[in-house]
Amino acid sequence: MSGSPDTARLVVEQAAECGVELVASLPDNWIAEVISAFDEDDRFRHIPVNREESAVGLCSGAFLSGTGSMALMGASGLMTLIYAITKINYTYEIPLMLLATLRGAPGDKAKFHVSNGLHFLPSLDAINLTYEVIDSRDKIPMIGKIYRHTRTVSRPAVAILTRDVLRGDA
Amino acid sequence: MGASFRGTFEFLAAQRQDELVVTSAGNSSQMWWDITRDPDRTFYLDASMSLSTLLGSGIAYGLPQAQVWAFMGDGAFAMNPAMLMVERDLDLPNLVHVLVSNRVYGGTSDIDLPNKPANDYIAMAKSMGMERCWSFDSLAALEDGFDAAFRGNSEGHRFVVLELDPFTEADRGADDPPMDGPEIKFRFGRYVEATYGVKVFTEQL
Repeated sequence: MSGSPDTARLVVEQAAECGVELVASLPDNWIAEVISAFDEDDRFRHIPVNREESAVGLCSGAFLSGTGSMALMGASGLMTLIYAITKINYTYEIPLMLLATLRGAPGDKAKFHVSNGLHFLPSLDAINLTYEVIDSRDKIPMIGKIYRHTRTVSRPAVAILTRDVLRGDA
Repeated sequence: MGASFRGTFEFLAAQRQDELVVTSAGNSSQMWWDITRDPDRTFYLDASMSLSTLLGSGIAYGLPQAQVWAFMGDGAFAMNPAMLMVERDLDLPNLVHVLVSNRVYGGTSDIDLPNKPANDYIAMAKSMGMERCWSFDSLAALEDGFDAAFRGNSEGHRFVVLELDPFTEADRGADDPPMDGPEIKFRFGRYVEATYGVKVFTEQL
């Protein structure tokens, strides 16, 4: 899927306005354009990580140094984070901003994301992980609100981007 | 046979100046607390399943004026050794990754690690491009090499393997840090704010 450069630019601007400096990512091809936009922008230090848990560790440590951060990943990656989030961010009450994709939703033709369509959002609900689905361009500013919310409540939260938003079709 | 766990940690605690410390599950948190009783300059990250040095990396990245020692057991390392790829990319000159190798899951009854006798952590690190690697299997060797491996800023990220014996029966009686997560966060964060002049709990909104 080819992403929309315009959407990527809007996402990056939201992060910049929040004071995000460190961006950790592991790709899902839906957000490849967004990851590239962070990588090419000198306002950010983009760190590709080996697995999504590493992004949790890195961003949680960045918080303790007073540095704004964000972790980008696909839905499958977020599904691997139940322990890391509950152990680190819930136990120590450390804010964490996550940006993920809504894989497995109607319109996603990838058979290998059927499980995410069935279990992704219910899994977030099961651990009371706050999230907002960003399903139209005019909701992209919610990313900034969610980021600030993580700092207010000292918890993690997720902005989940749909396929149509990332393609620039919604 | 490696060096004594307690003796090695006592030496490190005695050498410590103003370094921030991140400890890992079980043994290193327990022993560091038992020896130092430090509630402010140490972040006790229990049972993170391999994330202690990455959390330390985040701290070191945001505080280039600080020195950070991040401890990790080899049980945790075995769960996510490719963390070194990320640490190598970051190449932080103010971070020392201290791998506490006792070849057992020390926090869970000393059950053996897989492939215990053959694991070569230095070779693994070098395969990922690490250049500044040290391994110490005795207190005397650590005393000799401490300054190069631990002191001050270096040219980049450092990886130090401490080959230690598992906890003794007496070690098992060491106290755990008597703090819940939020207290650890606030004490450490307030120390960082006061010492380095950054805002951890305010102005991140």
